[in-house]
Amino acid sequence: MKSIVLSSVVVALLVFGGCSSKDVAVDTEKTETTSSAEEVKAVETETIAAEESVVNSDTNSLANMSMSDIESKLSTVYFGFDKFSIDSDAQVQITKAAELGKTGAAAYNVKLEGNCDEWGSDEYNFALGLKRASAVKKALIAEGIDGSRISMVSYGESNPTCADKTQDCYSKNRRVDFKLLP
Amino acid sequence: MKILFLLMLLFGLMFAGDATIEVIKKVDALPSIAIEDASISYDDTFKLQFFKSLVADLNVISLFNVDRYHRLTYYNATDVVVENKDMNYVLRYKMYEDDSTALNIDMKIIQNDSTVFSKSYKVSRQNIYMFVSHAMAYDINEFMGESSVEWMKRKVIFSRIVGPKKSEIVISDYSLAYQHVIVKGGFNLFPKWANRAQNAFYYTSLDAATPTLKHVNIKTLKVSSVISSDGMMICSDVSRDGQTLLLTMAKKGQPDIYTYNVKTKRYKRETTYGGIDVNAQFMDKNRIIFISSRLGYPNVFSKRLDTKEVEQMVYYGRSNSACSSHGDYIVYKARETSNAFENNTFNLHLISLKTDFIRRLTATGVNEFPRFSGDGDAILFIKNYKNQSSIGIIRLNHNKNYLFPLKYGKVQSMDW
Repeated sequence: MKSIVLSSVVVALLVFGGCSSKDVAVDTEKTETTSSAEEVKAVETETIAAEESVVNSDTNSLANMSMSDIESKLSTVYFGFDKFSIDSDAQVQITKAAELGKTGAAAYNVKLEGNCDEWGSDEYNFALGLKRASAVKKALIAEGIDGSRISMVSYGESNPTCADKTQDCYSKNRRVDFKLLP
Repeated sequence: MKILFLLMLLFGLMFAGDATIEVIKKVDALPSIAIEDASISYDDTFKLQFFKSLVADLNVISLFNVDRYHRLTYYNATDVVVENKDMNYVLRYKMYEDDSTALNIDMKIIQNDSTVFSKSYKVSRQNIYMFVSHAMAYDINEFMGESSVEWMKRKVIFSRIVGPKKSEIVISDYSLAYQHVIVKGGFNLFPKWANRAQNAFYYTSLDAATPTLKHVNIKTLKVSSVISSDGMMICSDVSRDGQTLLLTMAKKGQPDIYTYNVKTKRYKRETTYGGIDVNAQFMDKNRIIFISSRLGYPNVFSKRLDTKEVEQMVYYGRSNSACSSHGDYIVYKARETSNAFENNTFNLHLISLKTDFIRRLTATGVNEFPRFSGDGDAILFIKNYKNQSSIGIIRLNHNKNYLFPLKYGKVQSMDW
């Protein structure tokens, strides 16, 4: 009996973990009541499933959006000078992208486009762009996205979004863009 | 003490410029040559265009002090133009159009009132005149008994960025005077000649879902796909016999160097380091140099293809991200400044594997993509400086650099 109680609580917790942030607040209260009340609360799980379906309806509304509309919700990830490590700002963008990847963009594959600033058109710069894309891919996999859905390409310095000779501009070009593929 | 230090610094800086002083002296010591135009066809604009091309070529062979006055005369005139009396050499040429509208050129070199060398040239079209000019300079160089400038007659292939994700692949002469766009539209980079005869080339196409290496036969214009890789796909070098390619691929998101056999279509992974390995170039049939980040920054390494042993080749500079080799020499691109906020300078340096000799070859701007000529006499490179993209030539034995600016766009990569 105890094991049933334990496993149901674990299941409940796992399912709560998958809920959107708004729902979590509501669900947490329920979890508390669950743990203080009777053990067998499979019904709760169902309730939660029902709540998840709300999230799913959200997904449906996203699914009705065009691919480019969803793509516009994926924020570019920026990198430091000569770097391909993920900083905390970049991690926030990747986490958001992963959530979208599991919901609204679940039907699509994603192409990660690595880019560099203008300091060099050589292969090393292209490899740096690729390493940036690869770092984002690893972070997305860590967030639960299936690696087979992700492809990568590096454009080196050849795809700048900004052509001015300013610090601000260079930093805008050191980036990884998300492109959805059908 | 501070004053003494400043004086010493000043003294040092003066000496740093010594190489330049030597070059100026050397230039003064070169024999003079004047060019006389005896053309009977074509308008003045074209005559001047050809004259300028010839002056540029004669400058590049670095054997003469070239007079820049465009003087007209008759081809068979017994005397040289009076202003050219004191010149060591006079080059006289005659351009004429025949019935088939081909461009014909006769030329002779006059020294001490007698013809010491003469030759005739013919090309089918007027607009490829620059190749005649290059051939004339090549022959004059041979006549003077200097080491060959074979590279002068070779074609250059380069990719030009014309907008974000938009590029062109262009075939040109070494001076960029002739330009033919061979791949238009799309996003295509890293062109590389497929053989010594320069009748086919490889390039990377980034338009498909996966970066793909393509092969183009110039005569038939047949395009075929060779191999694809997720992330990155570049043909870095082609062996002298054209049978083995050095590729940079990223099969699992990891940029590494591979050899690819053109006949069997099989590839083999040559480097396995977890960081960045790129830009492989053949040193000889079994040895390559390449750029690797295995020290935490990009630097030049070498590897035999039959062993796993890797050797560091350059011990100077903290960021050396491109290289080319010929015999005992390696030319590499080094970052001089590492500033995220200002313009950075990248210079080319030459090292000898036998001595500790290092020579800085460029001074300003972003100098990259060095490529030795087949005979090691010259280095072709890309220079980007103040919004101007150029192809440059360094004559190593003559300590001279020449720049040929691009009219529009930015050179991304090139081969010759």
